[in-house]
Amino acid sequence: MKVKPVNHAKAAEEFLDDAPHLTFHDERLWDMRQKRDQQMHLLPEWQELRSRASAIKEHTLANLPEYLEQFEANAKKNGIHVHWAADGAEHNRIVGEILEKHGAKSLIKSKSMVTEECDMRAYLEPRGVTVTETDLGERIQQLDGQMPSHIVVPAVHKLVPDVAKIFAKNYNTDPNDDSPQSLAESQRMAARPVILTADSGMTGGNFLVAETGTFVVCTNEGNADLSATVPNLHIATLGIERIVPRMADMGVFIRLLSRSALGSPITQYTTHFRGPQKGGEMHIVLVDNGRSARLGMEEFWTSLKCIRCGACMNTCPVYRRSGGLSYGAVYSGPIGAIIDPTFNERKYSTLPFASTMNGSCTNVCPVKINIHEQLYKWRRVLVEHHELPFVKREIMHMAGKLMGQPTLYRTAINGTEVALSTLPRFVLYNWLNPWGKHRELPHPVKQTFHTWYKQNRLKNKKESQGGKA
Amino acid sequence: MSSRDTILATLRANRPDPAAHELPPVAVLGDMDAGKARFEDALQLLGGQILLPQEGDTLATAIARRFPDAKIICSAVPDFEGTIRLEDVTSPQQAAATDVLVVRSPFGISEMGSIFLSEAQLNSLNSAAHLTQHIVVILSEKNLTANMHTAYVERPEFHTANYGVLMTGPSATADIQGVLIRGAQGVRSLSVWWE
Repeated sequence: MKVKPVNHAKAAEEFLDDAPHLTFHDERLWDMRQKRDQQMHLLPEWQELRSRASAIKEHTLANLPEYLEQFEANAKKNGIHVHWAADGAEHNRIVGEILEKHGAKSLIKSKSMVTEECDMRAYLEPRGVTVTETDLGERIQQLDGQMPSHIVVPAVHKLVPDVAKIFAKNYNTDPNDDSPQSLAESQRMAARPVILTADSGMTGGNFLVAETGTFVVCTNEGNADLSATVPNLHIATLGIERIVPRMADMGVFIRLLSRSALGSPITQYTTHFRGPQKGGEMHIVLVDNGRSARLGMEEFWTSLKCIRCGACMNTCPVYRRSGGLSYGAVYSGPIGAIIDPTFNERKYSTLPFASTMNGSCTNVCPVKINIHEQLYKWRRVLVEHHELPFVKREIMHMAGKLMGQPTLYRTAINGTEVALSTLPRFVLYNWLNPWGKHRELPHPVKQTFHTWYKQNRLKNKKESQGGKA
Repeated sequence: MSSRDTILATLRANRPDPAAHELPPVAVLGDMDAGKARFEDALQLLGGQILLPQEGDTLATAIARRFPDAKIICSAVPDFEGTIRLEDVTSPQQAAATDVLVVRSPFGISEMGSIFLSEAQLNSLNSAAHLTQHIVVILSEKNLTANMHTAYVERPEFHTANYGVLMTGPSATADIQGVLIRGAQGVRSLSVWWE
């Protein structure tokens, strides 16, 4: 059976129907964007940092096999077990085997988008491993049975009463608790005993450093450091593209990451793991899952520069007003819309159309990914691969014909005045015109620009030219 | 072929031309002020505090005043007593009872207000820095470096420590309706004591 494309527009419509959630979501993300701008303006070298970050990443991607080999050699020298996973299934199998070898039954973990990609919890739970997300937002999403709706703030689409209800059900707290402070304290109190008795810990990671065999984890809540240091077994999962050549390159990326993400100068914790702690065991799983194939896509390989800051999501008017869950994918927002189709072209064929093409995502990207251009290029690819829904395809087809013939186009445009002012609403506003769903069509004009130009300027021009002659 | 070899072979076949993407030289950019005032401003922006001595104060009296209810004060430094020494704490479960941990950081970063800790300062019980309710960090002004670039270029710890954490203020979250809460899952407060 063919997989159905995600109906982003329909899911977004449901999101739009809920005014309090919509308003908070929109304003909260825009606030993050504004805080990012304030940080940017404090650094005269901001644009140079972006250029450097982009150049370092492009260089690293062009030399990825060598840097991964260098990383592996150094990490092994430091006593880290290095594993390679071609896809999500292999990743999950590797993690499962490590846990089984240790007889581990309780895994505490910090947020990791790669483990979401691999759908790891669904693999481990039936095998008798209790997986506890320790990041507050991620835990809320786990308890609610939802994917993270944002790569940095996973539960940003929820309000205080939503969290109170979820915690009441799972932690036996007051369902009417309206204080974020006391809810966060409930999470701390519920998580601490689980952390102290867990037999294994897991983190994601933001960067791999080839020169030293280090991986770097940037977080705020302290849960990643607890997950990594309390149990004696630490497994880290990272995508193969997260590598930089030298430790000295980290300066560029740390200065950009949290400023771009949350508008704070740095995350509360920036942790460098170079080897196992005393008495401990450390594993790292390097995950491909489509990345090596993406490197060969001439128009899309630079999406691998992404450092997962979420700035493109915060600035995107479509994302802010549709919510991350409406994308139906692990990665949402503009960056999601250009990488999701590489995972499943048909399923995510609708996502590159979830954009106004305003280019804001490209402007805020700390590693200068041309996101909006890639959105456009994906649309072209999807048309070529016939992954466009019927109405969109037919309308584009008609528009193409119309715009390709000036006389026909002008006749049609002149006709719209009559059409817009005389046709009944049901003809103008129906399923063939999704544009008119939440908007009014423009007021008809008395005269098109072309007709006006012909009557005035063109006439004057002819007259003045005639005068000269 | 192993997944490792398959991945590396695919990358070799698919990568863009390495000659077209040179590695830029190491960047050392930005404000080079390695001062105490810049550090303090940055630290306070991220919710950290300065433990200020009053007339005749020692670290012990300053801690007693700042944390009047603390029962277990754990010391990881030779020049401060506390109620227990970190060498005598043998497990994370025992470390979890700590109210205040006192450590010495080898360096701080003025740009961010960050302090560095590794297994060398934590007697290899790294979790102690995160299980304690509060942390007091002894830092010397002469060990400040200007910014992230200078820190990564100058500090040898990034090449030697197995576990190296830059802590900037206490743990924090804004995951519930965007409300910023200091004291999430790690330390509830982080205070710097100048020596």
